[in-house]
Amino acid sequence: MPPSLTSLTDDALIAFDNLTDRAASLLHPTIRLGVTGLSRAGKTVFISSLVHNLLHGGRLPLFEPMRSGRISSVRLEQQPDDAVARFQYEDHIQALVRERIWPDSTRAISELRLTLEYQSASGWGRLFSSGKLSIDIVDYPGEWLLDLPLLGQEYSTFSERTLQLAETGIRRELSETWRQMTKTVDPDAPADEMTARRLAEAFTGYLRACKSDERSLSTLPPGRFLMPGDLEGSPALTFAPLPQTPDGKYAKGSLGAMMARRYDAYRNVVVKPFFREHFARLDRQIVLVDALQALNRGPEAVQDLERALSDVLACFKPGTNSIISSLTGRRIDRVLIAATKADHLHHESHDRLEAITRRLVDRAIHRIGMAGAGIDVMAIASVRATREATVKQDGMLLPVITGTPIEGEKINGEIFDGKRKTAIFPGDLPEKPDSLFHQLDSKPQETLLPDLNIVRFRPPSLEDTGGAIQLSVPHIRLDRALQFLLGDRLA
Amino acid sequence: MTSNDHAPPSGPQPTRRPGSFSLEEPERMAEVRRRPQSFDEGFTVVADEEDPFITPEEMAAADAAIAQPRKRHFSFGKLALGAFTAFLSLAFWLWADQVVRDLFARADWLGYTAVMVLGIAVAALSIVVGREVYGILRLGAVQTLKADAEAATATPGPKAARALVDRLTKLLAHRPEAARGRAALAATKDEIIDGPQLIELAERELLAPLDQKARALILAASRRVSVVTAVSPRAVVDLAYVLFEVTRLVRAMADLYGGRPGTIGLLRLLRDVIAHLAVTGSIAVGDSLAQQVLGHGLAAKLSARLGEGVINGMLTARIGIAAMDLCRPLPFRSLKRPGIGDFLSDIARNDRSPT
Repeated sequence: MPPSLTSLTDDALIAFDNLTDRAASLLHPTIRLGVTGLSRAGKTVFISSLVHNLLHGGRLPLFEPMRSGRISSVRLEQQPDDAVARFQYEDHIQALVRERIWPDSTRAISELRLTLEYQSASGWGRLFSSGKLSIDIVDYPGEWLLDLPLLGQEYSTFSERTLQLAETGIRRELSETWRQMTKTVDPDAPADEMTARRLAEAFTGYLRACKSDERSLSTLPPGRFLMPGDLEGSPALTFAPLPQTPDGKYAKGSLGAMMARRYDAYRNVVVKPFFREHFARLDRQIVLVDALQALNRGPEAVQDLERALSDVLACFKPGTNSIISSLTGRRIDRVLIAATKADHLHHESHDRLEAITRRLVDRAIHRIGMAGAGIDVMAIASVRATREATVKQDGMLLPVITGTPIEGEKINGEIFDGKRKTAIFPGDLPEKPDSLFHQLDSKPQETLLPDLNIVRFRPPSLEDTGGAIQLSVPHIRLDRALQFLLGDRLA
Repeated sequence: MTSNDHAPPSGPQPTRRPGSFSLEEPERMAEVRRRPQSFDEGFTVVADEEDPFITPEEMAAADAAIAQPRKRHFSFGKLALGAFTAFLSLAFWLWADQVVRDLFARADWLGYTAVMVLGIAVAALSIVVGREVYGILRLGAVQTLKADAEAATATPGPKAARALVDRLTKLLAHRPEAARGRAALAATKDEIIDGPQLIELAERELLAPLDQKARALILAASRRVSVVTAVSPRAVVDLAYVLFEVTRLVRAMADLYGGRPGTIGLLRLLRDVIAHLAVTGSIAVGDSLAQQVLGHGLAAKLSARLGEGVINGMLTARIGIAAMDLCRPLPFRSLKRPGIGDFLSDIARNDRSPT
């Protein structure tokens, strides 16, 4: 049996948190929406667009409570957690709409509370429900998510897995410096701060290289090495995996023992509170997956994304809640897997994108389904940056998308300047997703690889007529996602 | 075979080398690999009206097009009716009691005969009522099955779906067409299949042959209606014939999907079908389709009666589809729901051929 993610004390704390949450939500019904996604998956944009569309009565025809006019008011409220920063929704929207740039990588955790006032559709519901629902949404750096699987791994397992992974495929080349350095170090030598720092720096360098845009690899724990926040330079962040001794133990006072201790500290100080305060209390979850970027970079990135996602998703507790069980151990009863940035493809390719995404989280889908939670997969775009168009070519109509590509994006050797409007045909996605996953096992066959070049676009320009931003942000299937995630709570 | 094959060899035959020829059409589409590329001009932006995300296809309209049974609510009218019925039956028994007593007073054998006749009448009546109730319950069972299927599709656990499929199999146990599907489903008993997939499998295996039969029923009824309308001398005649044909069609449809309605059940079904047509507006849709058929210069070729025949046939087909919606124990999910367009060409062809 794999080691449990949480200890008994943690469980007690989680149960206590849940009890207080439940008591509070008796008076004030609240739903915690977990926006989960690796870095660059579009969490911040998703939250901004969701809030903007709800606040400004955006076009959400498939979100039933909105369409039928049962939602009487939507407002932002003071967020309940005093220790957590507020999600700077206004700034993000300004950047998206006015300057037309995507928000920077999220560097710290932030939270937002949105309150909807609504009328229930049924007479009994109107009689008994308070007609108010608060949605708590948390935004955090996607890199941190990679830490969750570490909760179930000891230092020895972590070292072994990391070292093993570092020798496969493209990583072999990227991890060269760090692996050489590790070989020269003796884990049983007395602990030395400078050696530890050098190792940690080399290790971080390797992780950064993997993360770079050209590689776009995903399985890169520990996440704080990439996005340290305020812990930069602290001992908990100054460790690196080391080769194992045969008996799995390091001598007292040795470098290995120090590394193992720091790894444990990292788990206890950094990962556990993050997990307990934000992930053990979710009601609904949306998992954002940027499959396109991985597809752009080839099968290795795709398989790495699959590995990272299945590791992360294994940490959540899906299932149905009974009245008793919901008091202490909350389960996530609906999970939506969303392939983001669907606007970078023509809509005729969305089915294939969904199929690929489904294949990416295959195991998780099965597990969640077995646990009895609702699950769905859709291709969405929180902010639709493109319009669709057709080009007549060789007597055939080629479906294309038009928009303004980001400065520096390339296609067929052409580099965009970020100002010109262009039509792009990004290539055909493979019809059978499996073709992407078998490539590494067999010899790479270039002919079978899909010819893809996904170009990233700038946010759309909205022609706003008045002074304030009145127009809602265009999107793809955001309303369907909302209906799936929140529809039943607003019934 | 042509006669040449049998002709005796007249000269030295050219030697024919063995060879193989592919019968499959070469898959051209797959070969053309569309490369990623960019265009600075020469593209036409899709208009807002045709953009699927700016103007989404109306979900509400699609929902309305599927016939739903009317929800039965409590109403004071029904309460009054029930109470009056109870009161009248009390009066009836009082009267019967009086009659029997009077007959006994007159002659014993008259009294006994009266009691016997009354007994037979009551027994026969209770059988009739029992059948009606059974028919209505069965129709209700089909509806609950449908609702449960919606719920079971939403929950992926296999347990609910398995129970549902068992119920469905039982419901269709008397249909010989579904025998193969029943066997196929029984064979998956021990396999692990997710709920939604299991229901889709059941739909394909059990209902596909029945759907085909339903389609044939609808088509046959519409054809008959269109022919009778075309040749009937008076409007009253074809109206009566449409009514007759529709009733027969709805009953056959219910029977096909395991409903077996009695008279009251059939009336209820008919009422739901008519209500559905009233909601969706049969004339409006009929008009647009009639334009499609008749507009292509056909009106000139066909007589007015033939055109009316097509329209009546289409009306019958629409009623048949609505009846299919109401009687089918699972919603259309993996199989396509037949639309009026599917029948249109067949009905029209039928009318054109005699001319």
